[in-house]
Amino acid sequence: MIPDWKLERYLTGDLPESEMREIREMEATDEIFAGRVKMLREDNRAILKKMPFERLSEKMEARELGSGRGMNGAGMNGAGNVVSFKFVKIAAAAALVLAVVSVALFSQREIGLAQSANDGAQVMDVAMADAALTGDNAFGEASDTRIKGLNARMEVWKKTGDSAVQLANLSEVREGDEIQLRYAVPEKCFGMLFSLDGNGTLTMHMGDGSQAIALEPGKMTTLPFAYKLDNAPKFEKFFFVTSRDSFDVDASNLDALLKNKNVNAVSVNLRKVEGK
Amino acid sequence: MKGNNQADREKMSGLYETYAPMVFRRCQYMLRDESEAQDMMQEVFLRVFDRMDSLDLSQPSSLLWNTATRLCLNRIRDKHRRGLDVDSSELLLTIACADEEDDSFGAQSVLAKLFSKEPESSRTIAVLHYVDGMTLEETAREVNLSVSGVRKRLRGLQAKLKNLEVK
Repeated sequence: MIPDWKLERYLTGDLPESEMREIREMEATDEIFAGRVKMLREDNRAILKKMPFERLSEKMEARELGSGRGMNGAGMNGAGNVVSFKFVKIAAAAALVLAVVSVALFSQREIGLAQSANDGAQVMDVAMADAALTGDNAFGEASDTRIKGLNARMEVWKKTGDSAVQLANLSEVREGDEIQLRYAVPEKCFGMLFSLDGNGTLTMHMGDGSQAIALEPGKMTTLPFAYKLDNAPKFEKFFFVTSRDSFDVDASNLDALLKNKNVNAVSVNLRKVEGK
Repeated sequence: MKGNNQADREKMSGLYETYAPMVFRRCQYMLRDESEAQDMMQEVFLRVFDRMDSLDLSQPSSLLWNTATRLCLNRIRDKHRRGLDVDSSELLLTIACADEEDDSFGAQSVLAKLFSKEPESSRTIAVLHYVDGMTLEETAREVNLSVSGVRKRLRGLQAKLKNLEVK
């Protein structure tokens, strides 16, 4: 029996010649094995048809645009070109260093809010506090709570089949929806991304435990993994909190963090509706 | 930074046409979820694309197989840590959640490994040997280590995973 990994290498032609020859002979003489190879070849075609390179190419293009890859040429000229290209290189390097240092901190962890008589009310207060904190400013417009010059942005996207749509504040979502978060900051700062659901569960999407991590300015950064919504009712609210100084979040007193005048909170509140 | 994006794109296209089905099946086998596997397959190629200048592409099948394995292990571990349902074999889940001194939280190491020819993480080696059924010799070839090096890595992991036995 040829193991799967070896059969894959046979199909891609990556085995040593002696093994390729041996398996070719087996394919020619063993009907069952030949059937297995035939099925995989058909599967190959189906996979490439369903997920053609063009889809990956679009994402590669987006990364190029985001990182500055490929900007050394078209549409730019003169000294400005040199300056901005250098900037892009520095920004890309900074982003890369940041990615190496901080990607380890992107794991999503759930922190249960301390159970007290006021929890339910507090959760709902926090969830519905859009107007006071971020409501009309979910995508980064000016706000009373914003630190001067700091204009952090967060985007919330939902996967839809093979593509994704950006969600506006109060968009409807359902259990099982896959959410992808993106953020950008205009200057060096500390930040964290977390969400709060209708059960009062706080999930860290980016942070070092409950501590904010250092962020570098630059392109929109996409968190490495999507987040699948569970069956928590009513809402799922995403927060991107930044500050010039290091800070942490106390899951049992989220309100204190959001009301801290030294932090900037950007949020997107999604309404949970039932059904698939 | 790339010097010739068109050439990179063509190289990626060739890699994708040849290896995407293999990578997809690998991800689907490990994650048991078609949608997640599609995402992960693309992520594997995007990581290669991002690091094309520094990667050794002389053995793309090994590079892509091992990168997919590592990223899927991280995904399984992250889901488990978040208390989400993980549809995975017990062995795979055990390996995925094993702590490693050299790979204590995974993702940083993933990037580091992509930049160089450093040996794969012990978790990846364990999957190749215990799950894929590669012999020690095949595993060693796959990860550019000596057989004794592979054995040592597996023993190191075995100390933390009592139910694994180095053959």
